[in-house]
Amino acid sequence: MSDSTNHRNDHWWRHLVMWVAISIAVLPPLYVVTAAFNSDQTLSGSSLIPRSLTLENFKGLFVQKEGGAEVFFVRWFRASVIIAVLNAFFTVFIGALSAYAFSRFRFRGRRMGMLFLLLIQMFPGLLNLVAIYLIVLRTGEVIPALGLNKLTALLVVYLSGAMSVNLWLMKGFFDSIPAELDESARVDGATPAQIFWGVILPLAVPVLSVVGMFAFVGTLNEFITASVLLETVDNFTLPLGLQSYIGTNFEENWGSFAAGVLIAQIPAIIGFIFVQKYIISGLTQGSVKG
Amino acid sequence: MTQAAQYRPSLLARVISLFSGVGGLLVKLLLLCVLNGITGWAIIVLFTQDRIAWALGTIAVLGLIDFIYLVPNRFLPAKFIIPGSVLLIAYLIVPIFFTINTAFQEYSTGHVLTKAEAIDTNIEQNVVQGDRFFQMTPARDASGELVLVLVDDTSGQTYLGRQSGLEEIDSTTVSVDDFGDVLPPAGFTALVGDELFAIDAELAAFEVPLDNGGVIRTEGLSGAYDSVPGFEYDASSDSLIAADSGVAYRDNGRGSFTSADGEELVVGWREYIGFENFTSVITNPLVRQPFLRAFVWTIGFAGSTVLLSFAIGLFLAKVIDKPNFRGKKLYRSMLVIPYAIPGFLSLLVFKGLLNDDYGLINKLLPFDPPWLFDPWWARLSVILVSVWLTTPYFLLVCMGALQSIPAELVEAARVDGAGRWQVFRKVTLPLLLVVVTPLLIASFAYNFNNFNNVYLLTGGGPSTDDQAVAGATDILISYTYKLAFESGKGQDYGLASAISVYIFFIVAAMSASGFLRSKALENMK
Repeated sequence: MSDSTNHRNDHWWRHLVMWVAISIAVLPPLYVVTAAFNSDQTLSGSSLIPRSLTLENFKGLFVQKEGGAEVFFVRWFRASVIIAVLNAFFTVFIGALSAYAFSRFRFRGRRMGMLFLLLIQMFPGLLNLVAIYLIVLRTGEVIPALGLNKLTALLVVYLSGAMSVNLWLMKGFFDSIPAELDESARVDGATPAQIFWGVILPLAVPVLSVVGMFAFVGTLNEFITASVLLETVDNFTLPLGLQSYIGTNFEENWGSFAAGVLIAQIPAIIGFIFVQKYIISGLTQGSVKG
Repeated sequence: MTQAAQYRPSLLARVISLFSGVGGLLVKLLLLCVLNGITGWAIIVLFTQDRIAWALGTIAVLGLIDFIYLVPNRFLPAKFIIPGSVLLIAYLIVPIFFTINTAFQEYSTGHVLTKAEAIDTNIEQNVVQGDRFFQMTPARDASGELVLVLVDDTSGQTYLGRQSGLEEIDSTTVSVDDFGDVLPPAGFTALVGDELFAIDAELAAFEVPLDNGGVIRTEGLSGAYDSVPGFEYDASSDSLIAADSGVAYRDNGRGSFTSADGEELVVGWREYIGFENFTSVITNPLVRQPFLRAFVWTIGFAGSTVLLSFAIGLFLAKVIDKPNFRGKKLYRSMLVIPYAIPGFLSLLVFKGLLNDDYGLINKLLPFDPPWLFDPWWARLSVILVSVWLTTPYFLLVCMGALQSIPAELVEAARVDGAGRWQVFRKVTLPLLLVVVTPLLIASFAYNFNNFNNVYLLTGGGPSTDDQAVAGATDILISYTYKLAFESGKGQDYGLASAISVYIFFIVAAMSASGFLRSKALENMK
């Protein structure tokens, strides 16, 4: 590439546009970072450049102030991470089982089933919460662990979409795995279950990682269902807990909220780093496979 | 090097394949045992709660599942689909049917009970004072239970009133002392002084049920009167008859008892009313106006969000998408930051940023727009914040799509003498739209139901001049939510469900057009 084209493509205004766009994009996140370290904990006292820095906001999340309210941040954090990991795992498992059936078996109602699963996702789920609430309430009378204010109940409700939400994505990937591989395994005497575990799933690691990642991050961010099913503050997930900081007193808890928001990002980032390796290795594998 | 030698499964892949042998079978059996354990316990509980039908149904389902999994080499698709299906049916399909069923009912504030419950509630709540008054002395019997010793003021007949009912006793066993206080019969100790004041609250709540459906309540510490039900249910005419006036309130077929001159009892019940919830969106002006306003705003909001985000994303992609552009990767990763942050957190942060008194944005601006408190500023806020959240997605999409456009086509247009703008209009954009249109439609459908962006930022407010449930920034789904869950003017769950069904058809139609364009359905081989 000649110097002249290089110069033209690198024109100063392009960089200017970029920096304007970036400053708009990062302003809110940056503001959260500074608010978290700002010694003035209120919204009115917050500014982009804090007058003095402090770690008090973070400390306040973990240590109960003398005479202050009980601090539940660690419980919320633990609950969110546990439920997100479990949801990711079971979503991948259940989704892969279903996608395998729809990809590899031919059975009556298969086409209709797939269309149906597509269609029910377009139903606005918000009002379903009433019925879900009633179902969870009644189930709790029989199996307490699946009742209201229980994280296990929340997990089970989250898992209700495991089959439908990712079916088309996973099935598409499974379809791209050559049927000859199944065929040769079957000739060698493998059962469908063995083909599923031994042939399809190992080759599908990229799509499993992506689906698991979506489910993991999605759970960490889920708000409305949790707000309907979880009742007491000690059982909250992170989103509910953080919202409770500013829900009642927007002005005063701004610093704690900002600090909590920063810490709340950690699981998703770790999850992404952890899975990224598999996504990349999985993708290169796919290309070598030929 | 052969291909086989190059193939190195990742650790995760190798771990997964361990389950293909005995391990997987053991896991399967273990899961089946856990399922049987939990469900078996649930069945026992159901039986002890006398919910026999539920118990038998659960046994049938569990038996079927066990059968399918334990018979080898048969029902193969079912073996793979059951785990997802059970959860799907219980927590997704049943709720959807529940919602659709509700759309055909009058189910709103004042119409939440079943008819039988509504009849009972009306009879219990509307008590009128009867014509009997009693002298009363609280006493305790031998076992310490609280008993009211009662003397009817008019007839002089004496009674023992317990929580279980009223018992007539011989008048001679009860005497009245010089102060007019009733002395209890032998075996009962009258409560006096501090003892009496200590059970003040208990006494006030004490009710002696009567055979006619009324009760005897205490009044003060030494009196009692009877209350009789204000209504009597007449099964033959299916109406409630007022005890005092004799006016009949008939079942009006819409979940209420109404009198001949149109008076309606407050407590009604859920009743099927056909398509009325659906048609009221068109016929009832009180419903139609907020619905139409929310509908138009939903389209305006979703449309402008998608178009602006796409336009800005495409512009930034065109700016950055040059070979040898320095800092390309850095710019891109910084521009994607809004996409990486959980949406609901960003929205809460923006709510603080846009606060018109303390918010950072008004501190930076030379003037103070009432971002969230004026209808049009609030609408602008919702759109701008949504664009902020959505643009990174379209930046990524456009950067990918631009690279898929063959450079030869652009070169050819250039050679033919087309200017930059012409090339963009006539070559790049049409080719780009082929790829991006399904995504634009999908994004529109997503924003059409983007509850969070509206609800967390403005709560649907500010309210409009007509004080309808739908505020200035309420889109259909947040309007529906408010109707169902938090309207201060009375919840209308039936109407909310009907609107949900409308939304379903709108979104399904949009998604269908997107799917047809992307030809995804052809993959259903």
